[in-house]
Amino acid sequence: MATSNGRAIDYDALVKPDAVHGDCYIDPDIFADELKKIYGRGWVYIGHQSEIPNAGDYVRKWIGLQPVIFSRDKAGKYHVLFNRCTHRGASICQHDKGNTGGFRCEYHGWFFRLDGALQAIPYVEGYGDNFDKAQHNLRRPARVDEYRGFVFASLSPTGIPLTQHISGPAQRQIDYACDLSPEGELVVQSGATKLAYNGNWKLQMENSIDGYHPNFTHQSFISTLERLTGSKVEIFSGHAKTQSRDLGMGCSNIDSRRANIEHPQAQARLKMMQGTSWGKKYYDDLVAAHGKERAEEVLIVNGTHMNVFPNLVVLAGQVRTIQPISTERTEVYLRPSLLKGVPDEVNTQRIRQYESFYTTVGGGIHDDVEMFNRVHEGLRCSQDPWLIFQRGLHREQTDNDGTIFSQGTDETAQRGMWRHWKSVMQQDANG
Amino acid sequence: MSSLREKVENFLYKEARLMDENRYMEWFELFADPCLYWLPANEEDYDPNKHASLFYGDRNIVNNHVIRLTEGKAFAQEPRSRMRRVVSNIEIEDGGEEISVHANFIINEIRKHEQRYHTGRTHYKLAPEGGSFKIKYKKSVLVSLDEMQENLTFLV
Repeated sequence: MATSNGRAIDYDALVKPDAVHGDCYIDPDIFADELKKIYGRGWVYIGHQSEIPNAGDYVRKWIGLQPVIFSRDKAGKYHVLFNRCTHRGASICQHDKGNTGGFRCEYHGWFFRLDGALQAIPYVEGYGDNFDKAQHNLRRPARVDEYRGFVFASLSPTGIPLTQHISGPAQRQIDYACDLSPEGELVVQSGATKLAYNGNWKLQMENSIDGYHPNFTHQSFISTLERLTGSKVEIFSGHAKTQSRDLGMGCSNIDSRRANIEHPQAQARLKMMQGTSWGKKYYDDLVAAHGKERAEEVLIVNGTHMNVFPNLVVLAGQVRTIQPISTERTEVYLRPSLLKGVPDEVNTQRIRQYESFYTTVGGGIHDDVEMFNRVHEGLRCSQDPWLIFQRGLHREQTDNDGTIFSQGTDETAQRGMWRHWKSVMQQDANG
Repeated sequence: MSSLREKVENFLYKEARLMDENRYMEWFELFADPCLYWLPANEEDYDPNKHASLFYGDRNIVNNHVIRLTEGKAFAQEPRSRMRRVVSNIEIEDGGEEISVHANFIINEIRKHEQRYHTGRTHYKLAPEGGSFKIKYKKSVLVSLDEMQENLTFLV
């Protein structure tokens, strides 16, 4: 049995195949254990390499509650560095983002390069002849790796490689998002929606791949959309061809491939997008880059809608990072992703679509946040502490690639997340 | 005969009252055709076709926004915010056909027993019309434009 703060926690009893105990959201000892086992050991999403395109660029990020700097050195290599002076512990980077020649700790003047190397100490003779500056470079996570520009870090020197954490089927989903660019690259530098709510970080993770809620939580958005287009929105109904999919290792998605490919208007949509000169150019460039078959496949599938455990969400036009603060508080960063090498109009359209739903003023995300706050309030009721994740359990199937899927409104995706969460939390605290 | 300043002040106070009282459609009628309504995010100024905003839209998009908020299923406004705002520090440049106005605002908002303040400065471009004005351009720059936000689903 796992222990946290000296207390035994039976994770097997808290996460059943079809239900999750409310303590998994509100117990501070479990939260502390998550910081140790999930954020303090496994792969955690840091940022997208395009956020720091130029030498000297940096942004502040976090691994769990630990502040890090994501920087690019003069040779163009990126680094993940702990935002802590190795001298007396002060944070050395104060701005959320910027461009600099290095980081000077303003407490006693120690100066670190963009790659974390300690370059200069004021009055260095005060440390004697045997002082080795190289021992006091900025500390860094044990492992850093990336998949298609998405940079992850792990504080553990051992463990599975990133390409195993993001399974093959999960990689294919990220590929759908990236291959919408003829150069195969997303560009994440168009600002961020920053939102906070009262409640646990997993509320946002399980909501991001929830195909059951849109017709209810987002009624105002969907009814406005239906009024504008004159046609009914079917993709979130209980009989849609959309699928809820467990990609393994806690990653999951709302899979619209089949629904989009088999959609009666799929070919008409491809034709329609070529109706403008910029749409035609985008289509032609994509075909030249990926071949006609793949280009048309990615255009029809139109990105992805997926989670990468524990803190990344990749959507068609967006990269979302979930930042745990406490059982009472979570911060979420939503960043529109643009496509490299496409006509400006394509990207402007992505930004307008993003704004229509994903800002705190726009049409949708704040209705999700409202529900997280409501769940957090409801979780104070102790009489029946269970949250039911049973939907579709009886009709799940295993696909050829080993992933488990079911109808789009089913909770297969959430069950996958919770199953992985339990297996990580059951690990020995000393790992 | 009231001065330009009096007319502008009366117009801004009326707009503030309509927003405070969630009178969305009457507020929308204050806008000209065409018009632009912009709430920048993260930074005060940038190319809105390359950087996302809290809101950026022409008359159609503003219209969709107010319709969505009035249809009754926008749960982030269920229950609704109570608010009153103060508009001040008004500076006017008389361009004849187009009056450029800058004004500060402080919104006191209470929803579900929590009180919040939202402050900022708005730039209006107003077109004189029938003794009053229509809004051709409204850009409201929140002081908190780069901070964590919870719920801005009322009218700013």
